[in-house]
Amino acid sequence: MAPRKHLRSRASAWDRKYSPYLYISPFFILFAIVGLFPLVYTIWVAAHDWDLIMGQGEFVGLDNFAHVVGQRAFWIALRNTLSIFILSTGPQVVAAIIIAYMLDSHLRARTFWRMGVLLPYVVTPVAVALIFSNFFSQRFGLVNSVLDTIGIDAIGWQSDVLPSHLAIASMVNFRWTGYNALIFLAAMQAVPRDLYEQAEIDGAGKVRQFISVTVPMLRPTIIFVVITSTIGGLQIFDEPRLYDQYGRGGTDGQWQTMTIYLYELGWTRSDFGLASAVAVLLFLLIVAIGIINFTITRRIANGEGRKSTTQQRRLKKGARS
Amino acid sequence: MTTSAPLAPVDPEAKSGRTLGRRRRSAPGGQNRRPGFIVYGCLVAVVVGGMFPLWWSFLIGSHDSTILSRTSFPWWPGGNFLANAATVMDTVPFWRATMNSIIVSTTTAVSVVFFSTLAGYAFAKLRFKGSGPLLVFVIATMAVPTQLGVVPLYQVMAALGWTGELTAVIVPALVTAFGVFWMTQYLRQAIPDELIEAATMDGCSMIRTFYHVCLPAARPAAAMLFLFTFVLNWTNFFWPFIVLGPQNPTLPVALQQLQAAHFVDYSLVLTGATLATVPLLILFVFAGRQLVSGIMQGAVKA
Amino acid sequence: MSTTDFTHPRRRRLSQAVALGAAATLALSACGGDAGADSENGDSEAEAPDSLSVTTFNEFGYEELFEEYEEQTGISIEHNKVDTAENARDSLRNSLGAGSGASDIEAVELDWLVEFMQYSDRFEDLADPEVEGRWLDWKYEDAVDEEGRQIGYGTDIGPQALCYRADLFEEAGLPTDREEVAELLDGDWGNYFDTGREFVAESESAWYSGSDNVWQGMINQVEVPFESEDGEIIADTNPDVKDLYDELLEASVEDELSAGLSQWSGDWSDAFQRDGFATMLCPGWMLGVVEGNADGVDGWDVADVFPGGGGNWGGSYLTVPTQGENVEAAKDLAAWLTAPEQQIKAFEAIGAFPSTVEALESEEIQSATDEFFNDAPVGEILANRAEAIEVQPFKGPNYLLINVAIQDALNRVDVDGIDDADESWDKFVNDVEAMK
Repeated sequence: MAPRKHLRSRASAWDRKYSPYLYISPFFILFAIVGLFPLVYTIWVAAHDWDLIMGQGEFVGLDNFAHVVGQRAFWIALRNTLSIFILSTGPQVVAAIIIAYMLDSHLRARTFWRMGVLLPYVVTPVAVALIFSNFFSQRFGLVNSVLDTIGIDAIGWQSDVLPSHLAIASMVNFRWTGYNALIFLAAMQAVPRDLYEQAEIDGAGKVRQFISVTVPMLRPTIIFVVITSTIGGLQIFDEPRLYDQYGRGGTDGQWQTMTIYLYELGWTRSDFGLASAVAVLLFLLIVAIGIINFTITRRIANGEGRKSTTQQRRLKKGARS
Repeated sequence: MTTSAPLAPVDPEAKSGRTLGRRRRSAPGGQNRRPGFIVYGCLVAVVVGGMFPLWWSFLIGSHDSTILSRTSFPWWPGGNFLANAATVMDTVPFWRATMNSIIVSTTTAVSVVFFSTLAGYAFAKLRFKGSGPLLVFVIATMAVPTQLGVVPLYQVMAALGWTGELTAVIVPALVTAFGVFWMTQYLRQAIPDELIEAATMDGCSMIRTFYHVCLPAARPAAAMLFLFTFVLNWTNFFWPFIVLGPQNPTLPVALQQLQAAHFVDYSLVLTGATLATVPLLILFVFAGRQLVSGIMQGAVKA
Repeated sequence: MSTTDFTHPRRRRLSQAVALGAAATLALSACGGDAGADSENGDSEAEAPDSLSVTTFNEFGYEELFEEYEEQTGISIEHNKVDTAENARDSLRNSLGAGSGASDIEAVELDWLVEFMQYSDRFEDLADPEVEGRWLDWKYEDAVDEEGRQIGYGTDIGPQALCYRADLFEEAGLPTDREEVAELLDGDWGNYFDTGREFVAESESAWYSGSDNVWQGMINQVEVPFESEDGEIIADTNPDVKDLYDELLEASVEDELSAGLSQWSGDWSDAFQRDGFATMLCPGWMLGVVEGNADGVDGWDVADVFPGGGGNWGGSYLTVPTQGENVEAAKDLAAWLTAPEQQIKAFEAIGAFPSTVEALESEEIQSATDEFFNDAPVGEILANRAEAIEVQPFKGPNYLLINVAIQDALNRVDVDGIDDADESWDKFVNDVEAMK
């Protein structure tokens, strides 16, 4: 009996010691194979002549990188990616906060409204892109027709750079504004209500309350939303790919993004070496913007901390007096 | 291969559904504002604006190809939707794509929920060496744009002979950092430590404790994680587009095939867009409430 | 893609128009039946598979043929229809790169066949005494690699005629009868553009839809356009290419002959319904496209003429990648699909013009008329146009990419209006440099 008991307790000790590692291992194994390894190996591919069909060729060092940054198409893609990112993130955050503010009140059928603003989220980006590219057809699309009836000249949605970026950004905004509004709504509900009461006592109107109480309290959430948009936004592919029937981003690369450029190099021109070089450069860009974001966040968060404590102190003082 | 999905720094109190509910009862709505006509008007505009493209899609899809050439736009559906739908299904492998999307989304959602709960349980409730740094590592990976490893990942799939197969889409999405983090956060406050201690004292093995204590407690968060993973994989395009090709597509991949053609027939394209949206709209009717509270509790970004 | 919807009426009309009528068709399908049965018998040792997969793009007109084949042989056919030729090309490249994923039969278009010639060992040699001499010589030769292996069976060819709107011609005071139009436009591209100048002076409509469409006609008459036979890229330095580019853009933009539409775009499709333009270069397969887009519009006709003589645009091949598991059965199916009888049926279905000698000479083709195009004898016209083809351009492995780049260049000027001809040419030169 005794040895078996011993064995059992030893098994149990092993169980307790190693089971946690077993439980978390699926994530780490999978991440290593489909996340980390491909990323690191991208650098290896980027340093070679590498054809989609013929496979690995000669080691070429940094030649692929040099070739890519020497291309006009690369810089245009970079410009487009940043521009579409800014156009889709900026207005989206503003609209989402305003919508959240409207939702954060005594609404009848509250759940209905929340679900209502979230609806576009379940529409696949490909469908969104198809519908919107119909809206923005240059000659005979809905948008230009409406503009025409109110006496505005047709806009070159598919020929001019900025309009095409606006159209693509509108697809992103369509899908994500309501979603982010709910994030802001959650953050707004976490704002201590007495802050508003205090502001009201101080004679602040609703708009004033919104600007001086709500928005500052939301700052960390805003930064969060911007950071998460950065990672996805800089890799935008679906919407510009489906903006016209060719999928190459326009005759002059008006809306060709980095990821489309990567795809075109890798899968249309079969040059995995060049495509990998673009991937590495885009990775560095995302990291750089991430670091900038992080620094700003830290600074603002610190400032924010001080500010809110002063506010609270003021509140307490007010309560006492 | 999924876009990273961190959590918002929402007030910790707001994170739990229960506290949220309680507070709401005591102070319903923000600042006791009574919304006037303007607020309702604006919200109606937002909701209508959100539905209009879908309505438009159905509208155009219910007419024939000449509809967009007319001088005035139609504001009422025509009778051609079913005929167009039949043509869509004739043109692209629609049913196959739908089945593929259901398989991919369901498998990944189930798998993500299972592995995330397992890992989340370990991180939240079990003590082991290195758990802190490992969790930080998991969170950090959410900020890594893994999509950029697409070239080697494609080569891996090719070497395995998986290109064109659903496996190539499913396997990379079997567990996500976001899922692990989400379950860790939830389980931390959902299971009292005493319960686990009691189970261990009773001689329960680790896996039995997981099964009897953790799984039941994880249910609400697991349901939400399921929904978000499902939607994420249903709407995913880039990777399936690259690795599956037109032969064995998921729904978004099949859908894009409608656009590029010898001539763009928008009544067909938009019929396809409508058809591809319907399944998730149905899901939304039943589970939209959970999605809303999921976003608000965790401020998920999927 | 979606022509199915529109080709039904066309299919009906065309088959009604076939002079020999139902009896001939029946007889033919009986022949087809024999061929199918034969090949199956011949193969019985090689174990006939339950199903074969076939990837095509755009429209091949194979839907009914597949059903027929299934009935005859019991082999079910899985048809993957890819939207565009470009996507089909990308997808096939992927499959070759991965070593798996290709269908048993893959359709390849003329413009990128050359590209795949680089990897011709990844395709089965389809040479077979039974099919020898089946195709037009040039159609056959384009599919033979350096070692003499035949990697594709020709499906259709794209001899170009000219489609025109008789009603718009009349309004502008031009002749409307198709013989007169043929006479009027007989000549070089300069003549075609000059007539266009007369036309636009008298009409609200443009002469043609856009430069990219006309370009296909022009470039397919240049013997050595983009790459020299020793593999050097000459597109940016070839004076022939630059001259055509300049001539075309001058006509399109300065003389406003172009409607400024990029072909295959939604706006382009819509313009068919709005009297947007009066002429269109019409390879056989384009007839179905015009008819689909111009559904309900009267006045389209087709003339037996083409600027600069004859010209071929497009046309495809069926290939059998070696990676498939049923190469023998796939070869049989490909042979059956490209046999004269089946080519005639594909022509009746969607207007894909046959590439086999026998089909071209057949009564069905010679006497086919098309109600939509004012009962024009389309079969006879296209057969004449096929004969008029003098030049088969040399297309190197970069042909497709370079042609896409120059069409982008044209569209920057003509469609988008963001560059003038010289600026856009410089960008094109830049793009070509990047490919070297």
